Amino acid sequence: MLFSPKNDWFGNIKGDVLAGIVVALALIPEAIAFSVIAGVDPKVGLYASFAIAVMISFVGGRAGMISAATAATALLMVTLVKDHGLQYLLAATLVAGVLQIIAGYLNLHKFMSFVSKSVMIGFLNALGILIFMAQLPELTNVVWEVYALVALGLCIIYLFPYVPYIGKVMPSPLVNIITLTAIAYFMGLTDVRTISDMGELPDTLPIFLWPDVPLTFETLKIVFPYSVSIAIVGLLESLMTANVVDELTDTESDKKRECKGQGIANIGSGLIGGMAGCAMIGQSIINVKSGGRGRLSSLVAGIFLLILVVFLSDILKIVPMAALVAVMIMVSIGTFSWTSIKELKTNPKSASIVMIATVIVVLWTHNLAFGVFTGILIGSLFLAQRLSQFMFVKSEYDEASDTRTYHVVGQIFFNSSDKFISYFDFKEAVDNIVINVKRSHFYDVTSVAALDKVVIKLRREGADVKLVGLNSASQTMLDKFAIHDDPEEIEKFISGH
Amino acid sequence: MSEKNNKYILVGIDGSTISGPLIKFAIWLAKSNGLTIKILHTIEHSHQTENPHHEGNLTPNIRRELLKELSEEERVESKALMATGKTLINTAKETVNAAGIDDVVAKLRHGTLPEAIEDLKAETALIMLGSKGISHQGTEKGLGFHLEESIRATNSPVFIAQKEFTQPKKVMFIYNGSPTSKRALAMITQDTIYKEPLEIHIVCVNSDTELANNLIAEAKSAFAQSKNSIVTKVLTGDTIEQLTSYQKDNNIDITAMGAFSHGKLHGFFFGSFTTKMIQQSDCNFLLIR
Repeated sequence: MLFSPKNDWFGNIKGDVLAGIVVALALIPEAIAFSVIAGVDPKVGLYASFAIAVMISFVGGRAGMISAATAATALLMVTLVKDHGLQYLLAATLVAGVLQIIAGYLNLHKFMSFVSKSVMIGFLNALGILIFMAQLPELTNVVWEVYALVALGLCIIYLFPYVPYIGKVMPSPLVNIITLTAIAYFMGLTDVRTISDMGELPDTLPIFLWPDVPLTFETLKIVFPYSVSIAIVGLLESLMTANVVDELTDTESDKKRECKGQGIANIGSGLIGGMAGCAMIGQSIINVKSGGRGRLSSLVAGIFLLILVVFLSDILKIVPMAALVAVMIMVSIGTFSWTSIKELKTNPKSASIVMIATVIVVLWTHNLAFGVFTGILIGSLFLAQRLSQFMFVKSEYDEASDTRTYHVVGQIFFNSSDKFISYFDFKEAVDNIVINVKRSHFYDVTSVAALDKVVIKLRREGADVKLVGLNSASQTMLDKFAIHDDPEEIEKFISGH
Repeated sequence: MSEKNNKYILVGIDGSTISGPLIKFAIWLAKSNGLTIKILHTIEHSHQTENPHHEGNLTPNIRRELLKELSEEERVESKALMATGKTLINTAKETVNAAGIDDVVAKLRHGTLPEAIEDLKAETALIMLGSKGISHQGTEKGLGFHLEESIRATNSPVFIAQKEFTQPKKVMFIYNGSPTSKRALAMITQDTIYKEPLEIHIVCVNSDTELANNLIAEAKSAFAQSKNSIVTKVLTGDTIEQLTSYQKDNNIDITAMGAFSHGKLHGFFFGSFTTKMIQQSDCNFLLIR
């Protein structure tokens, strides 16, 4: 059972408010960085993060999870923004939201069971690498001061928590931003890029805006493929993050509600000029680590973020990009599963191959969904292979009755059917043949056809064939698709029609 | 052994002051109906951390580290809660044993009370709870945080202890002809909950006295076979006010009624009659769903 509504909201007020503030401070650099990835003004990402964080606190299915503008979805928008502009991105965001709501009603969250642990690790690793790679434009062809600032920023982020007392109460990413901004400003480092170089920051509260696109089929044709990608990737990351939060907090979440909630939040974002987003693994972990458990933390994060950016936009403008880059490198390091590298040696090869394939396809396509599909596909092939390996047939011969008995053990399906046939000795001339399938299962038409082939072939060699030990599921398959007991069908089979 | 005997009287205790009287009521009922008492205490995990980290950074392998830390914290919390819980249920068990009942089960379960009630639905004949949990102790009107949810989680009758134990003699049965009150009537006339005769006051509040009299006659005829002595009364005016003053004037020990016939949403907007009734009475309740 889920938390009761009261508990969900007000069961942990102090913890949620403090965590929400910590989260908001970390959301700002991320929202700006992800806007840069998508190729839009920082205000698009900031408005999106505000809208999504606030709305999901009401409509989401996982209390304590943080959703906002994300790298995973931003990466999918790049070409749309480049070719058609911001308004089409807003339209795509709305359509993606609608698709996610539909996915929620269709219970598509159940397909998450196909995502194995290896695929999930691959997803996280790929995401970590992508976030890191997105920082490279800020790190190439720049003055040496930028490298110095980023290095200093990373030192602050990782070492400041060790400072007695204040290290435990001040979020180190914030300390990094304040310090680096002060250094860049007071030392007059004019060659160091600042947030204002990235585009417009929010200077007003968001207003309701219908995307300025022609409401035609043409428009839909342009945005739809992007919307599908955004909807899928958004749900994938959201549901994976929900699993992470479930595990960390030892509580359950409502995945169906989460799917619909993500859709509603995206629609809300699109209508106030924000880009599409989803749940964020890094931020959700920061939230849980900071003591956030309820819906309140996400609400506080969203509102606090908006207050900060609207009223402090003059200060935000002079923040050097190096400070944001340092935060994003931290996020990428935190997202990447470092133990998975060690586990490459110890895990089964198939698991490692699935993980690496997922990463490679994501890095190649910049679309996390393709990586996940690849991972699932390869994983399934490995499973099919493994099941076939465990299928075998042993046989014994009883001289007195001239009976050969075959004992079939394991799963018979498309991949193991040929192997199944190969166990039978069709050249042996015996009167009676018993095929005992008690410890096996026939899954599909291919396996039933293989059984047909075996039975008919053995009968043609003059043996009386008896099939024993069918379980009821296999019996149903046979009743529907087998022909070896249907004379007419055998006729066709033998004559090759 | 009949099927009924495989079922328990589920007594939920949490160490609040009402838990003591509740056990005594349970003993009183068990001695009459022969059911086995199952004492239940739930261990509610806060799922919150006492040591939040506000560094706001993500260190390598943070997920694994955080999982380890939070699991350890909860493990320690659970151990402590289980130790307290064990003392609670064992003390209650001793009280039941001391009253001469040997057959009693004491159980701890993780999760909330409504969850536990839902999980144990199949083996429950009757549920007994205190009106106020430990977190509401001392508050004037507050009802137990989980009470409504717990009652909604079950189909079994729920006994709610609200005052010190005295041997119950008088029961007020509220009847208004609604489907829920009809179910309640059927349940009470079977005498499965309490077998010895009691004084039962059938009460109907309705401004249409003719209708009320008909309803009362209908209810009374259902009691034709029972050994209980029946008193009937028609009241007019504000329902809750009339009923609570009738409780007081007649020294009613237990108020029996159908409960939560409306959905949660209705209760949210209009307030639940059942909740208001319990809050404003100084009386024990038998609620029938």
